[in-house]
Amino acid sequence: MTEDRLIELIEAWGADPSAFPEAERAAARAMLAAQPARFAAVIAEARALDAALARLPEILPSAALTGRLAASAPSPKAAASGFRLPKLAPWAPASGVAALAAGLFMGVMAAPAASASSDMSEVESVLEHALGYDPAAFTQVLSE
Amino acid sequence: MAFTSDLDQITRAAAGDPAAVRALVNRYSPGVLSLATRMLADRAEAEDVTQETFLRAWKALPGWEPRAKFSTWLHRVALNLCYDRLRKRRESLPGELPDEADTGLAPHEALDQAQRVSAIEGAIGALPERQSAALTLCALQGHSQAEAAGIMEISVEALESLLARARRTLRAQLLEGRTSS
Repeated sequence: MTEDRLIELIEAWGADPSAFPEAERAAARAMLAAQPARFAAVIAEARALDAALARLPEILPSAALTGRLAASAPSPKAAASGFRLPKLAPWAPASGVAALAAGLFMGVMAAPAASASSDMSEVESVLEHALGYDPAAFTQVLSE
Repeated sequence: MAFTSDLDQITRAAAGDPAAVRALVNRYSPGVLSLATRMLADRAEAEDVTQETFLRAWKALPGWEPRAKFSTWLHRVALNLCYDRLRKRRESLPGELPDEADTGLAPHEALDQAQRVSAIEGAIGALPERQSAALTLCALQGHSQAEAAGIMEISVEALESLLARARRTLRAQLLEGRTSS
């Protein structure tokens, strides 16, 4: 520790050696204790500034501000939301029923044309058109 | 240990726990607001910066990884927002706010306590922004050297240099105030 370095420390960190960088603290304290008069003036100046800074009022947030800050945080519901299946609309089941009815209707209407070129029963023809496959053939595949 | 406590509160706040959110706000909003107020010398702007800082924090919490202390990260965000606002001020007032602003105190017949406080606050606000930040973080808020340097993303040696220049300017202000009173 040199005298110049000690003055630099006081001018930067203030009069209290506990604010100095830890690695230089002990040496600075020893030099100050050994030569108090040598550094009295620079210490006094630093102490005056430290006192002036300590007199500055604390800046605190208002309750309104802290309330706004907390309110801006994500809500528990939003924070917990991960992937979810989309919620079905109330009319979704009804639309499924309507689609099934429309399919059966189309099958009934188209069956006569198809049965003219084959020996399938009228009922089989209706089912094939309504379901999109031949149930008899499907049953045969299963039995094999 | 504060860091562990931070992690616990961050985890709970990220899950939307209102108590943890309030705890983070209560713990950190004074420091953020104080830093912004000293830097900007404008309470309303400082509150805006504080709100923006916390908004960014809430967005960052779900993916938060403790590579740095939350306090350091939060103050760094606030400081960078202050730098942005100061830069915009300079751009909107070209040539009127030089880096080395005139920080001379107005001569008073007798500075009473309130006037002296106001004068020192004004002098801090008129310091070059990095000097003002260093002084606020170390001398006014009591951050450790490592944490203040971390917030400012500079070395402790650079921090010391900024502090020395800031204090030299303020000492001159104090002396000028005394001799003119």
